[in-house]
Amino acid sequence: MAATQIATAGFVIEPGQDAVTVFEKHRAELMASRRLMNLGMAALFLVLLAISVYVSRFYPERLWNGAPRIFEYFGTVMPNLEIDKLFEARGANGKAVPGSILYWYSDFGKYMTLLFETVLMAITATMLGAGVAFLLSFPAARNLAPAHWINVLARRTTEVFRGVPEIIIALVLVFAVGIGPLAGVLAIAIHTAGALGKLFSEVNENASTRPVEGMRSVGGTWFDEMRFGIVPQVLPNFVSYTLLRFEINVRASSIVGFVGAGGIGQELNHTISFYNDDRVMAVLILVVLLVTVIDLVSERARTRLIGRENLI
Amino acid sequence: MSEMAMRDIRSARAMTVSAADVAALKAQFPDAFGNMRQKLVTGTLWGVAIGYFLWSLWFFEFWKLFFFNERAARMFSEFFFWGPMGEWDYAGIYQGLAETIAMAFLGTLLGSVAALLIAFAAARNTMPRSLIRHTVRRFLDLLRGIDSLIWALVFVRAVGLGPLAGVLSIFVSDTGTLSKLYSEAIENVDRKQVEGVRATGASPIKTIRFAYLPQITPVFISLSLYSFESSVRSATILGIVGAGGIGKVLVDRFRAGFFDQVAFVVINILICVFVIDWLSGKVRAHFIGEKAH
Amino acid sequence: MLEITGLTKAFGPNKAVDNISLSIPQGQMVGVIGRSGAGKSTMLRMINRLAEPTAGNITFGGRDVTNLKGRALLAWRAECAMVFQQFNLVGRMAVINNVLMGRIFHHSFPTAMLQLFTAEERALAIRALDRLGMAHTALQRAETLSGGQMQRVAIARALVQQPKIMLADEPIASLDPLNAKVVMDALRTINREDGITVLANLHTLDTARTYCDRIVGLMAGRVVFDGTPDQLTDRQAREIYGAEAEDAFSEGVTSTSLRVRQITETALEPAE
Repeated sequence: MAATQIATAGFVIEPGQDAVTVFEKHRAELMASRRLMNLGMAALFLVLLAISVYVSRFYPERLWNGAPRIFEYFGTVMPNLEIDKLFEARGANGKAVPGSILYWYSDFGKYMTLLFETVLMAITATMLGAGVAFLLSFPAARNLAPAHWINVLARRTTEVFRGVPEIIIALVLVFAVGIGPLAGVLAIAIHTAGALGKLFSEVNENASTRPVEGMRSVGGTWFDEMRFGIVPQVLPNFVSYTLLRFEINVRASSIVGFVGAGGIGQELNHTISFYNDDRVMAVLILVVLLVTVIDLVSERARTRLIGRENLI
Repeated sequence: MSEMAMRDIRSARAMTVSAADVAALKAQFPDAFGNMRQKLVTGTLWGVAIGYFLWSLWFFEFWKLFFFNERAARMFSEFFFWGPMGEWDYAGIYQGLAETIAMAFLGTLLGSVAALLIAFAAARNTMPRSLIRHTVRRFLDLLRGIDSLIWALVFVRAVGLGPLAGVLSIFVSDTGTLSKLYSEAIENVDRKQVEGVRATGASPIKTIRFAYLPQITPVFISLSLYSFESSVRSATILGIVGAGGIGKVLVDRFRAGFFDQVAFVVINILICVFVIDWLSGKVRAHFIGEKAH
Repeated sequence: MLEITGLTKAFGPNKAVDNISLSIPQGQMVGVIGRSGAGKSTMLRMINRLAEPTAGNITFGGRDVTNLKGRALLAWRAECAMVFQQFNLVGRMAVINNVLMGRIFHHSFPTAMLQLFTAEERALAIRALDRLGMAHTALQRAETLSGGQMQRVAIARALVQQPKIMLADEPIASLDPLNAKVVMDALRTINREDGITVLANLHTLDTARTYCDRIVGLMAGRVVFDGTPDQLTDRQAREIYGAEAEDAFSEGVTSTSLRVRQITETALEPAE
């Protein structure tokens, strides 16, 4: 008759041995090997940290010297509002009175137009990018692609689209199609196609292939297999990711203007670079408000969408 | 139930339908023949979306994409056909790349530490006082809402040109993003584990250490790594405003018209990004694979 | 008439299906039995080319099916309906739409993508659902149904294909006895009334005996029995399932029938 053995967490206690001693010995061994691994990783981490600090010249004294100047800068961008003049309307000569909110936001109309353009850029770019990502995500899914080379091509494409930073794409496009929002829309759309393409393809890979086989067995083409076998499963996830992406794209739209690709970024660049310091705050506040509002709306839409089905 | 199965099997044998059959079935099961109202709603929504899209393409002057442009053509051809590579400033390029990665690394590191501390003040279950919680959340919105490029501009004005400004801007924007994500992870913590630890008489700090931390550590690591990957990408452009990194190198070459070097730098950036993504995947597998038991 | 000649499927050195030859006349109901891994599923899937044969030939009605490609292959699959163990329906789509998928081959790309089905097709679908007693669920999402109901919807989908032959890969393996009976009854009725050949993989012997005209027994990828249910002796059944002579082998153990067994008197005797 075989001796009774208790296999516990990878080690074995023979009858007659003291369980505690065996456990302690095993634990010591495990701790030792784990300690070595952790020590190795910690050492590597510290080395990387040291290199980073050196390369970026992140020295405490520079930080120390710079800190008061940060506060100084925030002081200068604060608007020169005077309490008694806050709500003054325009004066007799038609000009706004310095110290009033009207004066601070005298370019309000221009800002609003640019903000409107910024939001439109984000919407269009997200639509375009999500559409391309949708199409790419099926051949990019390893288990769904009709042929291996198609899979590789789709995956590389999404990776390149995703890897190149948006501003750089925007820079190139501004050179190619001229200054203006078109370059921004295209740049953000391309980057979105890559980012969403990767996310979508991962969702596709995790979907059940049973309905796909069902579609195959009734004589469906590859397109039928995808459209009816996979799309109904993944669409809620796709929409959720797209809305998240839209939030990010609003941020992106607000800065591509730095390189001339449209939106409020250009104005922001002007105000900061030309030392119109009080206007900086004006524009920044609007930008932050915009982003916050979009985030809230998008979050609300996303939670409501978890219930809704009838999109197809 | 088998009677029901047998009932109509005898009556409707042939699998072909005549026009009369169609009419009869339509009368019996009207909804199965297409819900007009739903089709109208879906159709209208799609119509609005496509209509907006086409209008916006017109609004953004989409046709400009197709105007043949000599200098654009020259740029694209130089992307692919490079001139002599001997005299390119390799030192500058690789210094810039190193700075970029260093900035991202430090910025994300500091950001995740700060975010971890702030997150506990932003989560519903660890900060029941809603006034503090909401204030913290609005503050985090502020940090997140301002893109790291804008922060870079601000910090360059404050601490001068160079990667220090870059580190600070990544630190600030990452703190904003990560705090929100960490606080969501804290809110999704399994309450039973927290209760179990608290029931042994542990103080709040010990509860955090033994009930919250083990659960959120895998999420923490995963999110930090994603954040690092993303920070590397955003760090590449901070140089445009003088905050260090490869951005300035890139823009300088672009403005000087050295498009082949631009392509070279972009390819290097891509390689860096891919390598970091891959490494981060490995690290993630190591830590989270281990913790999942 | 379905002719299978020398059909083989090899995975490296292992032969899942080894040189099988069968001749199945139109209108027959055939039950394929055998252990798990005996090659039943692989063989069935090669008929509608969900799996590719390594060697051998399959013809249906004189047409060679093994080498079909492109549109012709899709046409064959549309003509040869299949019912799966896990139903393979589209969960989030309505029942009626799932059934209409049986007609998808006959549509062009745009009408298929937009699900523009004709009134005749919809009538056909309702008729099929009604035949299976499922018309009242037509607008529900398929995933809200029970297993037995889903399988009936799957059979309705198969019917709408207007097939000449129906393949069933363990259709009742995931169902409880009541639903299993409903599904097998439906298959047999379709076989009798529509004259459609049915080829079903079954893992319960008594189901095969009850419903099928002919039983084919597979073992290690080869046909070891081919005949009527009466001809299948206990010894042959044991061989197919690999039961040793002294093992207690009861067909009833795998039964899906609802008949309650007689309790013997000895079991009821009270302890003294």
